[in-house]
Amino acid sequence: MMAADTLLQIKQVTKQFGGLAALKDVSFDVTSGEIKAMIGPNGAGKTTMFDVLTGILQPTAGEVMLKGESIIGLRPDQITAMGMIRTFQTIQLFEDMTALENVMVGCHCRTACGFTSSGLRLPASRREEKAISEKSMDVLKDVGLHTRAGEIGTNLPYGQQRMLELARALASEPDIILLDEPAAGLNQYETGELAGLLARFRERGLTILIVEHDMGLVMQISDEIVVLDYGEIIAKGAPQDVQNDPRVIEAYLGIEA
Amino acid sequence: MGDRNQVRLLWGAAALVAGVVVFTLIYKGSTGLQWILSGLTVGSIYALVAMGFSVIYSSTHVINFAQGEFTMLGGVMMFTLCTSGGLPLWLGFLLTVGIVTLLGAGLERAAIHPLKDQSVITVIIVTIGMAIFIRALAKWIWGTDPVKVASFTGDKPLRFFGASIVPQSLWVFGLTLLAVVLVFAFFNRTLLGKGMRAAADNPDAASLVGVSASTSSLVAWSIAAAVGAAAGAVIAPINFAAYDAGAMLGLKGFSAAVLGGLGSAPGAVVGGLVLGVLEMITAGFAPSGYKDAVAFLILILVLLIRPQGLLGKPADVKV
Amino acid sequence: MDKQLARPLDDGRDYRTLGIVTAFILLIPVWARFIPGDVLHIDIVNVMVLAGIYACVVVGLNLLVGYAGQISLGHAAFFGIGAYTTAILCTRIHGFPTWLGVMAGAALSGAIGWLVGKPVLRLKGHYLAMATLGLGEIAFILFQQLKGLTGGTVGILDIPPLSIFGLKFDTDLKLYFVVWIIVMALMLLSINLMRSRVGRGLRALHSSEVAADAMGVNTSTYKVQVFVLSAAFAGLGGALFAHFQKYINPESFVLAVSIMFITMVVVGGMGNIWGGLIGVLLLTFLPQVIQAMPQWIPGLPSALQNFSNYELVLYGLLLILFMMFLPKGVADGLGRATDFTEVRARRLGDRRRAKKLEGR
Repeated sequence: MMAADTLLQIKQVTKQFGGLAALKDVSFDVTSGEIKAMIGPNGAGKTTMFDVLTGILQPTAGEVMLKGESIIGLRPDQITAMGMIRTFQTIQLFEDMTALENVMVGCHCRTACGFTSSGLRLPASRREEKAISEKSMDVLKDVGLHTRAGEIGTNLPYGQQRMLELARALASEPDIILLDEPAAGLNQYETGELAGLLARFRERGLTILIVEHDMGLVMQISDEIVVLDYGEIIAKGAPQDVQNDPRVIEAYLGIEA
Repeated sequence: MGDRNQVRLLWGAAALVAGVVVFTLIYKGSTGLQWILSGLTVGSIYALVAMGFSVIYSSTHVINFAQGEFTMLGGVMMFTLCTSGGLPLWLGFLLTVGIVTLLGAGLERAAIHPLKDQSVITVIIVTIGMAIFIRALAKWIWGTDPVKVASFTGDKPLRFFGASIVPQSLWVFGLTLLAVVLVFAFFNRTLLGKGMRAAADNPDAASLVGVSASTSSLVAWSIAAAVGAAAGAVIAPINFAAYDAGAMLGLKGFSAAVLGGLGSAPGAVVGGLVLGVLEMITAGFAPSGYKDAVAFLILILVLLIRPQGLLGKPADVKV
Repeated sequence: MDKQLARPLDDGRDYRTLGIVTAFILLIPVWARFIPGDVLHIDIVNVMVLAGIYACVVVGLNLLVGYAGQISLGHAAFFGIGAYTTAILCTRIHGFPTWLGVMAGAALSGAIGWLVGKPVLRLKGHYLAMATLGLGEIAFILFQQLKGLTGGTVGILDIPPLSIFGLKFDTDLKLYFVVWIIVMALMLLSINLMRSRVGRGLRALHSSEVAADAMGVNTSTYKVQVFVLSAAFAGLGGALFAHFQKYINPESFVLAVSIMFITMVVVGGMGNIWGGLIGVLLLTFLPQVIQAMPQWIPGLPSALQNFSNYELVLYGLLLILFMMFLPKGVADGLGRATDFTEVRARRLGDRRRAKKLEGR
């Protein structure tokens, strides 16, 4: 039963690698405007789930629906064009490109000029370039990096690189963004900045599915938490409830609560 | 492609090759058998060259474009030492293999080892540069005319079901068998060999047990040079040795290695023999200029359909 | 090696350089006249025409290899397809316009690039390298074996000189201008592409294919498209080659030629818009210089005058040494030199500013 504002539906997704089941029959929904967190011990299958959601991996079984349409079998760039984008656990900024250029790549799926109009520098392509660079500067301003626009992205300090990756993803005007451990390596101040940024974007209508190990951040910003262990959902619900769930405690600490 | 389809593919390929061979024998009788025997002979050389590629690749993930040149050097050196220099064959053989092995090791230290952190393209171009350099030196030293090396045990052909085979071919088969046994044993039974295989996948762990990536590379190149030179020495009486023999041999040996599975010594033998036989049969049925295309067609097909080759593992396909 | 400096996006530096280089190149025949022929022993204009023809190939190949991060060891095949197409059309069909033959050569090359590119570009790294090598070898064998079409090992002779709208370009000098104007046009196209959305997409896929996919770049299509473009450029060069040399045979399209093209890209500097051009000029003139050198120095021993051996040995050594010490090519070396001076100038400027602030 799809509620009017369910953005992403994950239905009984299973992913097998030979004999190993990385994901077993995982089902949950993400509603529009929600911040949902996916947590679990290392190896629980969280990044695998992201890979399935973004088309890097195909599920062995199950269905994923974005805005009512199935994304199984689509390429990652097609899924991005549909409005779902991700960031990566290890920073994947483009080398030898400035911060601005990195963000400009984020605009790729919303623009169209190809080899011919770009090669001949037709007026349409020049207009588009201008629009892309203006849009990208705006996004950089949003995350507070506009003063660093001309620097090579991979030369920025770590925390700013994370912000840049986020900005790049946001430039694609997504409906839902999948964040893979965005706070990894950030200090407390930077994590606070990140939380504020995410809240601001949620207010603008962005839906967020976040994988994170920083429990403080998770508790602070999530509306709902899904807990994975060994590829299965072991708990689902409001942050307080999940925090006290004995199965969750056992999964993390390995002892009977 | 799923696992079950892969198995079906392998059986299909085997059936196809067997079918072609059987067809040739039936349709062409002893002429066909002659083609097949020649194919096995030249295929053994491809197998030895392929082994050289595999050894270097499995230890270092480098593809050595100069592999064919080691084989070429094996041939021309035998000429200089035995035919010109009058040394007994066994001594010439040992010296040839020894000198080329030292050359291989020297090249590795001088040009490959310093580049260990560079990209694929860089190393490929360096090995291409080596190949050009060695070939040009050989042209300078030995000239352009092919040279004749004496057969090890005479030239009287042996009859075999209506086809004939020169005794030197038996030496070729023998060397191939010896080489594959030794290389396989080395990589699977000795500590150094096993360590080298480990070093390719996990250099840190391997260096903990005393086998560094650097050692691995050096030993691999030495083995590849030795095997290549031995191959060149033993085929020289049949094929004539010349400065440009290495180019095609290198390319076809590489196709054989990919067919059998880069990184697998038995795979190199299977790949080499299959390629040699298919090539000779093609030369029999079609205008001979097309026989060279067989190696490249096989190469492309394997890369597109099953990059790990017949006996390789998918994990070996490094992207 | 710190790439601290990033140029602002909208600077016209590349276009200004293009203007300067174009002007310089178009003036070469003028000052070449002033060098007496028996001093250099090199026919500069003739060599430059050949360099220009190779440049057509290398500019495209640089887009494929330097920017998009792919590799092709078989580009001589496209060079050959372009050459044979125009040669066959112009010698078999009486009065077939040569400029149309050139365009047909480029188009057919591009089409075949698309056909083989689609399956082959799924491969990466040295697998892609070997597959393209295999394709190049197969093309060579076909050039040799399809005797009815290509003339076999003899090839095609008496190819008419290039003519456009009745203007015949039958001398080296006339061809020089046509070829180099074409090269500069291809350079312009490349600069435009690289500064655009497409160029960013290609650079992104070179850097991280996974991230590029995730950011909405259709990497598989882009790889094929840039491959097709480079094939078309190579075909164009090949067609011009046919009308320049006026005969072609398979020997002009062997593996060594593919390797020469790649070497020009790498030695000149991958991923740098001028790298291809630098590599072409260096590697086209170097053998000429080596060949001519003994004639500059009277009384050189005859062993050293045997240039064809000498040249290859040096060539191989050059490849090895370049890759060892200057893997990012000459252009990068030059770039680093200019960056170095710019960084020093900036640092000096910053220091002065800091001192001023302190003084307040």
